[in-house]
Order: sequence, then structure tokens, then C-alpha cells
Amino acid sequence: MSNEIVPARARRWLFTTNHKEVGILYLVTSLFFFVAAGLLALTFRSQLSVPNNNLLSPDLYNQFVTVHGLLMIFWVLSPFAFGFANYILPLQIGARDLAFPRLNAMSYWFYLFSGVAMIMSFFFGSAPDLGWTLYSPQTSAQYTPSIGLNIGAAALILIVVSITMSSVNFLVTMFKMRAPGMKLRHMPVFPWAILITIFMMLYAFPSFLAAVLLLYVDRAFGTFYFSSIQGGALLWDNVFWFFGHPEVYIVLFPALGLIADVIPTFARRPLYGSKYIIGSMIAAAIISFIVWGHHMFVTGIGVTSTKLYTVTTIAVSLPFDVMVIAMIETLVKARVKLKAASLFALGAVALFVIGGITGVYLASVALDHALRGTYFVVAHFHYIMVGGSIMGLIAGLYYWFPKFTGRMYHENVARIHFGLSFIGFNILYFPQFLLLDMPRRIATYSASTGWGPLNFTSTIGGFIFGGAQVLLFLNLFLSQRRGSPSGPNPWDAWTLEWSLPSPPPPHDFDTVPTIAEDGTYHFGNGQGYPNGSRIGNGYAHSHLEGLSPWPIVMAFAAFIFFLGLTIGQPTSPTPVSYKPFWPLIFDGAILGVISLYGYTREKFSVHEESRVESWPFKEVPNVKLGIWTFLGAEVIFFGVLIGAYFFVRTNSPTWPAVGSLFTIRNGFAMTLILLTSSLTAIMALVSAKIGSRNGLIASLLGTFGLGVAFLYVKAGEWIELGSSGVFSVANGLPATSYFITTGTHGVHVFAGMAMTIYLLANTFKGRYLKGDYHAIEHFGLYWHFVDIVWVFLFPLFYLI
Amino acid sequence: MNTTYLYLLVFAILVGGTDIEVNLASVQNSVPYGEYVSILLGLAALKAALIAMFYQHLKYEPRSLSTWVLVGLVMASLLMSLSFIQLHIGH
Amino acid sequence: MAVSNTQIVFDDLYRIFTDLAIVVGIIVFALMVYLIVRYRDRRSSQDPEDTPRLGRIPIGRGHGRNVLVTVTLSTILLAVLIFTSFAAVDVLFPASEPAATWCYGVPAYNQTQAAGQSCPRLEASGHQFYWTFSYPRPNGTIHQDVGMFRVPVNSTIVLDVTSNDVFHDFGIIEFKIKTDAIPGRTNTIWFVPYHAGNYTIQCFELCGTGHYYMTATLDVMSVPAFLSWYNSTGLTK
Repeated sequence: MSNEIVPARARRWLFTTNHKEVGILYLVTSLFFFVAAGLLALTFRSQLSVPNNNLLSPDLYNQFVTVHGLLMIFWVLSPFAFGFANYILPLQIGARDLAFPRLNAMSYWFYLFSGVAMIMSFFFGSAPDLGWTLYSPQTSAQYTPSIGLNIGAAALILIVVSITMSSVNFLVTMFKMRAPGMKLRHMPVFPWAILITIFMMLYAFPSFLAAVLLLYVDRAFGTFYFSSIQGGALLWDNVFWFFGHPEVYIVLFPALGLIADVIPTFARRPLYGSKYIIGSMIAAAIISFIVWGHHMFVTGIGVTSTKLYTVTTIAVSLPFDVMVIAMIETLVKARVKLKAASLFALGAVALFVIGGITGVYLASVALDHALRGTYFVVAHFHYIMVGGSIMGLIAGLYYWFPKFTGRMYHENVARIHFGLSFIGFNILYFPQFLLLDMPRRIATYSASTGWGPLNFTSTIGGFIFGGAQVLLFLNLFLSQRRGSPSGPNPWDAWTLEWSLPSPPPPHDFDTVPTIAEDGTYHFGNGQGYPNGSRIGNGYAHSHLEGLSPWPIVMAFAAFIFFLGLTIGQPTSPTPVSYKPFWPLIFDGAILGVISLYGYTREKFSVHEESRVESWPFKEVPNVKLGIWTFLGAEVIFFGVLIGAYFFVRTNSPTWPAVGSLFTIRNGFAMTLILLTSSLTAIMALVSAKIGSRNGLIASLLGTFGLGVAFLYVKAGEWIELGSSGVFSVANGLPATSYFITTGTHGVHVFAGMAMTIYLLANTFKGRYLKGDYHAIEHFGLYWHFVDIVWVFLFPLFYLI
Repeated sequence: MNTTYLYLLVFAILVGGTDIEVNLASVQNSVPYGEYVSILLGLAALKAALIAMFYQHLKYEPRSLSTWVLVGLVMASLLMSLSFIQLHIGH
Repeated sequence: MAVSNTQIVFDDLYRIFTDLAIVVGIIVFALMVYLIVRYRDRRSSQDPEDTPRLGRIPIGRGHGRNVLVTVTLSTILLAVLIFTSFAAVDVLFPASEPAATWCYGVPAYNQTQAAGQSCPRLEASGHQFYWTFSYPRPNGTIHQDVGMFRVPVNSTIVLDVTSNDVFHDFGIIEFKIKTDAIPGRTNTIWFVPYHAGNYTIQCFELCGTGHYYMTATLDVMSVPAFLSWYNSTGLTK
């Protein structure tokens, strides 16, 4: 192992697809964003420390506060957790890597470039400056003409793409690649937490993607979904928070799972009530989707709705009760070792309790009428997100540092880090509960409010807390070079990753373990621990294997494509519109096509273990499961678009009569065209299965041709409606909703047609006819879905 | 039943359903609006189900997969229905 | 000192929540500290007998009974919180709108007062970055003030809140009441001020660069002072 060839650093880190290296990339990058966002915070905390301060202009203040929130939530909390998930999770479930390693690397690069875009927004006019919640209509082009928000939107779209790819990847991995005998109930709590988090991500993020996309279209094309008098502001409120509430659980659960595994290790006893903890997480995850109205208690949704949300929100605290009590009971008759990891884990539980209790306050409508938009809310969620999540993730950092590096950190420095962090944290945030009269997001305040002393105290705490993190970085950075060797299992822990050397070899397990009915496991030939000299079945035995340039190239292509869409300066003051920057758009598109081509042509084989646990998807192949998972997210995405249409339509006093704007005949024609194309698509599969080359070519050509026909009719409609003036995009909600919804659908049709070309090209080379028809089948799944969406769009837009 | 024949049959039903929808639109005024919309959406759902079951092969896939798909549908309808309730009850 | 009915609702409910929160917090933290100290690792300590080891997935530990107890106790406590919360909401948003009485004493509204009917609603509207307050006059015109909201003490004010441009939030800080000010939409709140004086109105939703100074003054006046001011706005017959 020590004389293997390691590729040059740059090539290795830029092209790796190994889950451990991708994990390290996520961890390091997220810590970088943590420092950046933290510095923003220290700056505005300084601004707030005394009344009538002018350290930061109100304009910059608003930007700092907004970007701080966006960075922390999207670019720090989840990526930090998924750094661990990438590295550790496959080891804990006995998998070789993730199901789709290149997709995994691509997720990371999308994440990195999206963060670059977010930071770039500072330098193009003004960064987003309306809070991470981006309420309408202040986010419309009319009120926020600066392109910084467009670039911010691009950054958000890119990171949602990254997250969606990760979701599909982890889901397939966890359901289809567990080691033999590793039933779901055998998994430690951390993988369970990740699995539950992925479910939430899958169903929440498409809503956010739809929201950001609609916001971008509103700004760029002058539509006004969110700025319309007909309920636009509340539409954003609903769509955003439908995503927003599960999102805050998404950034919390991995840390909770981590804490649930760290505490037993340092208590030297099994976790108390582990199945109740997991059950509670599942319950909380499900309930998290029906509580979002508590962010809208004062929007005037009516007493009945608010009472409903009070009940669901208070109910969701029950599972968390169970989790906390179970974690604490683990300590009974235990042998509690207070190392850095357990200090942070237990500290996180304590702070989480405070955060959780104060959350219950906010669930009460009457209390919320006083507390909404005040620092009480700020304190509540920082107790959860920093006190619970960040502290939990830092526990993970200390816990797994020896496994990543093979070295021990300096324990006493780490304990001091904990003490300072814990004390500094409480000095920073507890006073904010007492500032329950002070509005959030105000750049300064007058002395007569009396808010000065508490703000000053809070800022002091901020500097203590922020300063303490220097100890973390120094400790880990220096220990990585000079720490004493840790050995494979310094904590005498029992989850699978500790059975490997520290750090693990590139291929992880020599042989994947087999877990017996009674929970014991062995590797290969019955030995308890892997024999380092035996190389068993697996891949990526060295760092050289599994390198691919396409993930980073593809991500870069998307980055410059979206930058081109959003970087153009406003062309006219009113109404504001933006010029796209075509050179970047073209370059991005071309590079994207090239990398897509390279990606699909690359000979990258993923070794699939023959014996795996795959309940409940035993008979479902990996890629098919991945595609259906992706389609599930698409259902939410289109559901939001259609729901938005319902919403604005119900809120509009008048709407054009059936047949007055669109001829039913056009809609009928388009429906027939698409239905026929579904028939040709399924006939393509039939032809492939029976090996008929001509049949396959004809069907694919038919599908393509029908797609062209569909887009042709649609284009004609668009041109006619647009040029008639009465119905221009900027003029009315009927136009807006129609263009956006059918436009998004049209993009999907176009993508499908590109796929047909690719399949045709391969068919000419003789593929798909000898039992390898799966690509045709997968294409069909996507294409039929696009057809199903149109089956709903047709009556919704043409007939009612 | 020969699969090609089955697919053609499904296609015929889909086209027929679309025809019904369009004809319904022309007599729209004689039906209460709420019912009209419900029938249209019901027809759409039926067509979608046919496409999913037969073209996407869900009828023949393992139960786990179709359950998985159902979960996605439930989540989507959660958003729509709760927002809908919010719109129509209260205030 | 009670300054408004809404503030009393908040204070009472906040006190209940905080009392319970302190009790729960003390119990949980005391338990944690006790367990950590009692079972802390000492030089003489040995691993408990059920310490999991590498080579075997740990077996489950724990009684469902304890979980049931936790859930039951929590449910009772949370049910209390839900019901007290509902009671409070019903005060803030009663099924039938309370009768506004700010205009009692204005000669033109004498019939309204005699019949015990409601005065018209007042309106607050958010702008970037100030608040306007509108009072209907009996002759059908509207008087508008900027940045200053005058009301008579001990009267019921029913207020419609909306916005002229972006999403704001109208909050009377000392009265512990607020509602979103959304363009195209009207949200209604009501309150009864008990004590004359000046109170702070502020915007509680980030609405732009001027958000931090989007304040106004709620001037609760004695009834005679209010009536003479209202008369002075002209044409009150």
C-alpha cells in the first residue's frame, strides 16, 4: 500500500470520484464557507453592538445579514454533514462507494461553483439583501433592480441541482448497496438520519427550485407571479416555507444522528431506545411537511388555519422529546468519558433543548403575534442550528478526525475549544431572547430603545465564540501533521468504519463484511478484522482508478451558463429587464454538451457487489430506482408550478373565458401529438427487446419528429399570442402562468428530444438490440412522465 | 394479450379520453363549474394512470417501486391541498 | 403596568409558557448534569457489561415503557399549551369582530354610539419606509396622517393593515401585537389601549434599505384631546 502510485495532488483532487475524497472536499469547503459567513456575522454584530452605529451602511448590513443566512444554511450546514455522510456512510453500511461515484463528484463541484456564484454576487451591484427568506414583492426587479439577486438565484439553482443529484445517489446507495446481512435496522443512527434527511430533501427542494425559478423568470422576463396584487406575496410565502420548514430539519437531522452515535461511544453503553429514536426521526420528518404555516401566523390566513398549524407544530416537538430523553438515558449506569466529541455532543443536546422549548413558544399564535420578526426568533433558531447542528457536527469532526488522518488531535486544546465555544455561544445568543421587542434585520437602532446593553453583550459573546474556532482550526491543522498516531480505533468504538485502518485504503474494505442474524459480522474468510495483504473483490484499489474529469467540467459548464443568464446588466430602468450575456451562455452550453458526451462515452465501470442487502427494492435495478426517484422530485416541482397557477387564478377576480385566448384545437393537437409520441417511445422499447433495428430507428425517429411537431405548434402559439399585444408576457397573469408552466414543460420536451438523438446515434452503432435495451427503457420512463405532465396541463390551461 | 396490442389499446383509450374532454368543453356551460373541473381532472388522472401503469410499466413492477411513486404523489398533494385549505377557509 | 388588552393576553400566556419552560429545563438539565457526574469515567471505572464491541452490531436497549411515559407526560404538557394558546387566539381574533368605539364622542357618530354599533375601521398602510394612518370622516372623506397614529384611550380600535408597495409588518411593540402588511391584501387586528402616552410602531419585515427606520408613533390621547384633534382635521360633521 505504501508504494502505490498516487497521482499528482491537483489531478487527484480535481478528478476524484472516491467517496472519501469527495467527503474531505465537502468538509474543507464547508468549513471555508463557515468562516466566511461567520466573519460576515461578526461584522454585523459589531455594527449592532451600540446604538446609532455607522460601521456598516444599512445597504451593506442588509447584504451581510442575507448572505450570512444563505451561506450558513445552504453552503455550510448540509455540506458539512454530507462531508461526513460521503466519507463515513458507505463504511458504516459496508458499501464500496456510492451508487453513482461520478454523479457524486459532480454534486460536489456544483456545490463549489454555486458558492463561488453566491460570493460573486457581492461584486455585481449588490448581493441579495432581503433576508435569506427573500420575501416578495421586494425581490421583484422593480424594487431590487440589482443583478446581484439574479446571480444569487443562479447560485441557489445550482446548489439545488447538486443536492438533488446527491439525494438520488444516497438513496439508491442506502437501499441497494448495503453489505449482506446489514438490514436497515442494523444501521447505526447516523445513516438512518441521513436516509431520513434525503427523503426530506427529495420532496422539499423541488419546491424551492420552482420558487427560485419563478422568481428569476419574474425578474428577467417581467412576469409577476410573486409581485402580483393577486396574492403574489403569499404565493412566495407558501411555496418558500413549504420548503423552508423541512429545510431546517434537513440541516439538523444529520447532526442529531451523529450525536446519537457519539454519545454511546463515550458512554460505553448501547444507545437507549435506538428504534424509538429512529421512529421519532421518521415521525418528525413526516410532520415537518405540515407545519409550515407557523411561519405565516400573522399573514392573515385565518384562525382555523393558524390553529391547525399550532397543533401540528406543537405535535412535532413530541418526537424530539423522545429523542432527547433517550439520548440522556443512555448515560444511566454508563461510563461517561468527557472527550472533545462527547463534550460537544452533550453540549449540543443541552442547547438543542433550549432551542426546542423556545420553538414551542413560537408555535403559539398569540405569542407569535408579539414575537414574530424579533430577536426571540433569531435566538431560537440559532440555538438549534448552531447549538444543536454546528456543535453536533464539530463533535463529528473530533470523533472522526483520527479516522480521516490517522492522527490524534490535542485533547486539552479541544476541551478548551469546547468551553469557550459553549460559554461564548450562550453569551452571544441568550441575551437575544431578552431582546424580544427588537425587530430582526435592522441595521441600527436608537439609544432610547434601551437595546444597547444586551446587544453589546451579545456581540462580546460572538467574538468569544468566533475566536474560539481558531483553536479548532489550529488544533486540527497542526495535529494532522504532528499528532500522535491514532490507530484504527482510538475510541474503542464498534461501528464498521472503526474496523478499517486510519485512514482507510482507497478501496475501503478488502472484503465486504457479512452480518449474521445475531448481529456479529466477519470479513471474507471468517476473520474479525481485514487482513491488509489480501486484495479482495472491489475496485479503486489505488487512487488512480475512478478518476474522471467530467464532473468538474460539467459543473463548470453549468456555472458559466447560469452566470451568462444572470450577469447581464439591466437594459432599461422601467420596466427593468436584463440583457443576457450570450458569450458565457454559449460557452456554457457548448462545454455542457461536450462534457455530457464525454461523461456518457467514458468507460467508467462501477463494480456492483453480487451479494447485497437491497430491501425493499430487491428486484429494482439501481439506475431505474434512481430515475424513479428523480421523477418523484419532478412531481413536486411541477406540482408547485401547477399549484401556483391555481393560487393566482383563484385570487384573480377575472380570468379569460375558455377558448378566448388559446384555441382548444391547438391544445387538442398538441395532446394527440404527445400521446402518439408516448406510443412510439414504448414501441421503441418493444423493438429493442425483440432486436428489430429498423423498428427501433423508426420509433426513435417518430418520437423525435413528434417532439418537433409539438414544439412547432407551441412556438406558433407563443408567437401568435405574444405578437397580438393583448396577451404579452408582462401583461397578465393568464399569460404569465401559461408561458412559465408550458415553457418549463417545453424545456423538458426539448431535453427528451436531445436524448432521442443520442439514442439514435447509438442505435446506428448497433447498441440496444442485444438485450442491452435499458437506456431505451429509462428514456421511456422520462418521456412518459413528460407526457403525463402535459395530460394535466392541457385541461388546466385550455379547457377550464 | 400481445404487448403491442395492449399498447395500441391504451393509446386508443387515451385518444378517446382526450376527445371526451374536448367535447365536454363545448358543452361546458350546461354543467356546474366545480363538477366540470372535477370531471376534467378526473379524466386527466385516469389517463395519467394508464400511461404510468402500462407505458411506464408500473403495473408489472415490484410493489416496492409503485409504493415509492405513490409517496411522491402524496407529498405533492400535501402542498397543494394544505395551501388550498388556507385559501378557502378562514379570513 | 398594563398598556393594552393585547399586551395582557401576551404577558399572561408568556408567563405560563415560561413557568413550564423553566420547570422542564431544570428537570432536563439537572438530570443531564447528575448523570454525567454520577457516571463519569474514573480511574477505577470499568466498561459496563453491555459495552458493544467491534465485530457485533449492538443490540437494542431500553424499555418502550419509558418512552411511553415520556410521550404521555409531554402530551399532557403540550395539550395544556395548545388549549391556553387557543384561548388566547380567540381573544385576539374573536369569532365576531369587536365593535370599534374610537368615534364615540364625535357628534356626527352619535347615532352609531347610541345604537352600540361599530365605528368604521381605521387603516394603517406601509410604504417604503414610513406608515400612513387613515381615518374616515363622517362626510365620506379620509384624513391621513404620516408617522403618527392618534387614538383615544380606553376605546376599541379596529385596524385594517395593508401595504402600498412591498411586504411589511406592522407591529406595536409595547402592545405585543403585529400583523403583516401585504400589498393587495388587508389584515385586521384590534386593540384597546389602557394608558395614555406614546408607543412605538415599527416594521418587522425586511423591506429594503430603510427598514431600520420605518417607525411611527402611537399616540394614545385622552378622549377630550383626541376629539379636539379629530375635529381640527376639518369637516367632521
